[in-house]
Amino acid sequence: MLDMMVMQAGNGLALGFLYVLIALGLSIIFGLLGIVNFAHGVFFALGAYFSVTMYGVMGWWGVPVAMVIVTIIGMLTEVLLIRRLYDKDPLVSLIVTFAFSLLAEAVIRTIWGPEGQPFDAPDALSGVIVFGPFVIATYRLAVMLLAMVILALLWAFLNYTKFGRILRAGSRDPGMVGLLGINLPRVFTGTFGLGCLLAAIAGVLAAPLWTVTPSMGTAAIMPAFVIVTIGGLGSYMGAVVAGLLVGLVQSLTIQFFPEASAAAMYVLMALVLLLRPRGLFGEQWERFE
Amino acid sequence: MNQLDTLNGNVRLPRRKLLGGIAAGAAASSLAMPHIARAAEPIRIGLLQAKQGPISQQAQYLQQGTFLALEQLNNELLGQPAEIVWDDEISPQAAGQNAVQLIEQSKVVALLGGSLSNFALAEEAIAGQYKIPFIVNNGAAEDITGAKCNPYTFRLQPPVPVQAAAMMPFLEHIGKRWYFLSASYAFGQDIANSFKALLKNAGGVIVGDDQVPVGTADYSAFILKIRDAKPDLVIGGLTSGDLSNFLKQWNDFGMRGKIPFTEIAVGDPDLWAVGKNNVSGIYTTLWWYKDPNNSPSDKAFATAYQKKYNRPAADKAWMGWYCAKIMFQAINAAKSTKAEAIVEALQNWHEVDGGLNVHFNKWNNQLEHRFLIVGVKKNIPDQWDYFDVLASVPGSPEAMMAAFGTAADSVCHMSAL
Repeated sequence: MLDMMVMQAGNGLALGFLYVLIALGLSIIFGLLGIVNFAHGVFFALGAYFSVTMYGVMGWWGVPVAMVIVTIIGMLTEVLLIRRLYDKDPLVSLIVTFAFSLLAEAVIRTIWGPEGQPFDAPDALSGVIVFGPFVIATYRLAVMLLAMVILALLWAFLNYTKFGRILRAGSRDPGMVGLLGINLPRVFTGTFGLGCLLAAIAGVLAAPLWTVTPSMGTAAIMPAFVIVTIGGLGSYMGAVVAGLLVGLVQSLTIQFFPEASAAAMYVLMALVLLLRPRGLFGEQWERFE
Repeated sequence: MNQLDTLNGNVRLPRRKLLGGIAAGAAASSLAMPHIARAAEPIRIGLLQAKQGPISQQAQYLQQGTFLALEQLNNELLGQPAEIVWDDEISPQAAGQNAVQLIEQSKVVALLGGSLSNFALAEEAIAGQYKIPFIVNNGAAEDITGAKCNPYTFRLQPPVPVQAAAMMPFLEHIGKRWYFLSASYAFGQDIANSFKALLKNAGGVIVGDDQVPVGTADYSAFILKIRDAKPDLVIGGLTSGDLSNFLKQWNDFGMRGKIPFTEIAVGDPDLWAVGKNNVSGIYTTLWWYKDPNNSPSDKAFATAYQKKYNRPAADKAWMGWYCAKIMFQAINAAKSTKAEAIVEALQNWHEVDGGLNVHFNKWNNQLEHRFLIVGVKKNIPDQWDYFDVLASVPGSPEAMMAAFGTAADSVCHMSAL
């Protein structure tokens, strides 16, 4: 049984890293823009769809191109739609982004059809790796390692680059950042694009794991919201820890009580919020108080 | 003044005379020919098929087949224009509400649909309440033509226990340690319960039994449990997109070919979505576009579908088409859009296919017809041609009667119309 639990925990971490990527984009967008982006799952789904399409056109080189396309779509969305929500009631942004997600899903359905799109992992990453009683799919292990690298790069980007520092400062006090002569609208567009890029990377990585369907974004957005809430809104470390925690809890619940696997993460969220209403790593942010 | 002048607008009538003439004409036509005004209203058929969610990939094909059936009749029923009004199925509650809306607002004379069994059960209750003929084109749960039956609801899919029993001879030799992985809703639970009963009779052992929430995207933890339990066979009861996800991940974990997987009432689109390198298993399906025993009208449908959509017809497209065809034939045979007349025509509807008399049972409105046991080919040649037909069941009229049972076996107690 111990072997099984350890194996499930390892598997849960692999799933958790995927969740972290989705949730981090959501968290970054909320942190700077103050937008609860219900349409975040759309960019996850678009990442998967464009990777399927671009792979058909350009082979594996098409996969990074897909990420760039989704990032551009995200930035255009910020300029054309999201920008108009900054000075509105948070409820308005929630409703508008939710409506946008429904519209975008319908557009995906119209362009690619409602049926699933087959997409396989590279041959080099197919199969499983077995260590005694433990087994993990090679592709899942690759996803886990790649996600770690991306998280490390993102952390370095946020802490050691000028844009990263502006982004972190803007999260706390966008007015002051604007007074310092920084072009805030451009920073907002870049931030939204970065969030969409993270969602697209997660979508690309998920495409060989899950069937690519129009509703895959909806399936991903709820865990992402739960993770952001558990970790603390806008917290980088919170999203990472909470993502891994949700993956672990889901896997272990399936081992012992599979019927409750869908509800497990919500129970975890409720417990965390009861004990710490700001989330595990949530801090007091003046602008949201 | 000639007719051409009039058409060209060269003749000028005094305005008052013209208005008076129009008013008189309108009054006369409404008094003398009221049926013309009614004839302009098309006969409407309601279609309830999911536009979103995991079942939408099957529902798309069901909808396409349904519309194709009406197009083949030049969009006419009873010599009048006819149209299909398509509404969504998001949840059982919404499906029921949309059924009411179709009946009350769109004034449909009949309903088709039921992408999932729980949607179909909700719609069935509405069909019974509003006394509207309804053919369930996809739901397979036993209750639809069992405990929850009503005289207005008919159903295409053989009930789960019938399909499970037909599958049994192909599974027994594999081994008797079975693992159950079923969705936690009516269809999944029916599959699990039916196969558990069959396994018990065969002296087998249940080595695992997991219920999966509908819409589960990641099955890796379930697959690890199955791998650890080392069953001889996995019985699936997953729906549409969920089945696609499972099969894909089953292959990722190197389980394809190691432990056999089986499920009943799957849809071709669910397997096509997985990709030809990832699929394995034995399944039941109602129809296969390459079945050599397809009837001439089925073959004509397959050709028409291929021509229109530039891809082979999935079983679900055929199911949508077949149910719509039956409903349209019943309306034309009834020579009326009255519900009771259509229901009576449906109960009398029959045709011969594969030497079997295809018809609805009088006691529960369940269609009796053949279906297929199919196995996934070892070398799939293209993105569509996945199956070898292992058997067409039931193979004889006697076998059909035994498979579908009799009135005495049924728990359906239908009230009078």
